[in-house]
Amino acid sequence: MREKSQTQSRIPGEPGIWAFVTGDLLVFSLFFILIAIGNQEQGGVFSSARSTLDLRFGLANTLLLLTGSFFVAIGVERFRLDDGRDNRIWFRLAILSGVIFLINKVFEWNAKVSDGLTPMTNDFFMYYFVFTAIHAIHVFVGVVILSFLHKKSQAPFTPETQRGLESGAIFWHLVDLLWIMLFALFYLV
Amino acid sequence: MSETTSNILAQDSLSRKSLAFCGYTGYAAIILFIIGGVWLGGMLPPIPNANDAPAELVAKVNDNLLNFRIGSIFMIASFALFGTFGAGMAAQTRRFETSPVFSYTQLVFAAAGTTIALLVAFAWSLMVFRPDTYEPSILLMWADFAYFLALFSVPLFGGWCVLIALPIFFSEPGREPFPRWVAYVNLWAALLFAPGQMVIFFKDGPFSWHGIVAMYLPFIAFFVWIAIMSWVMIKIAHDENS
Repeated sequence: MREKSQTQSRIPGEPGIWAFVTGDLLVFSLFFILIAIGNQEQGGVFSSARSTLDLRFGLANTLLLLTGSFFVAIGVERFRLDDGRDNRIWFRLAILSGVIFLINKVFEWNAKVSDGLTPMTNDFFMYYFVFTAIHAIHVFVGVVILSFLHKKSQAPFTPETQRGLESGAIFWHLVDLLWIMLFALFYLV
Repeated sequence: MSETTSNILAQDSLSRKSLAFCGYTGYAAIILFIIGGVWLGGMLPPIPNANDAPAELVAKVNDNLLNFRIGSIFMIASFALFGTFGAGMAAQTRRFETSPVFSYTQLVFAAAGTTIALLVAFAWSLMVFRPDTYEPSILLMWADFAYFLALFSVPLFGGWCVLIALPIFFSEPGREPFPRWVAYVNLWAALLFAPGQMVIFFKDGPFSWHGIVAMYLPFIAFFVWIAIMSWVMIKIAHDENS
């Protein structure tokens, strides 16, 4: 058990990942502002376009990422406990949630394109396709990082390995957070 | 990697000077682009637009002919220096590899990136060479070509950044070619370049090659990245403990 040596509170992960997360959030803030401006200037176009989005896809994706984050958090915590159990299952489940998210996204985009709705249809769909695509790339990178974490979680416990796992997990949580914002702006508002 | 190899920079004044030189060429590339691309050449902010009618572009070119021509010369000088800038980073990475792998991949991407950038300047110069002889749509194609080379090449330029970050992450702690924060800056740079890939879908708006997300963001991020990496190289070269 490693708990006793970790009683001092600290910020998880390493400073660099937090700087990267901040940077990523800054970039996405620009995206959110653009959506907000579009909503302001073309309210009618945006609300009728929004109504064509399938809320079921959006909700399913939100649940998938939230569940994935939950699994990652468990995996990191179990590694910290260092009780000899195989923690890889948690990371495998998180990877699965990410992969299903991506498959879901492809189906959703396909459905829209089959209905004649493309990034060139109007500004709402321009933002919708481009920003969900950029987010999907983040999910893909997140899945790759999770596969590294999956391997790392079997390594012997060291504080460095713990920080590495936490850093990867922080990126995954960022991916989750960005989706929640996009979900709210595209599907709900 | 033996201690002797890692101390080479401390004892080898040529290596120090070489690395510093590569860093300074990065600064020079930025200054040359500010003169050639920003001030004279009309590349940033873009004087041409992706949704210009061909005749409009011909008029814009004729209105700025001499500036664009001189700007092209400064731009090609700037872009040639991407080679020395990139080689410096690869050399620094090489110092920490027992057998070179990432230093090789970085050299490949640096060479490709330099070539792409040179083509940008070539396209710009051809756009302004004989604007009244070419069909107007050919001028538009040169403008498209220049911006597509610069922006649509995300796997190359973004990949270059990732190839700088990975050897840092893969190294033993304390034996990284660059400080760990440099890896995160490179990943952020790659992220900022990414929207450039969107230019193929749009001829107007924020994701076109004159747009704020697909053009301004990647272009500015790229030169800020050069500034940061140049500063890091110069710092390593001058640091007695490197």
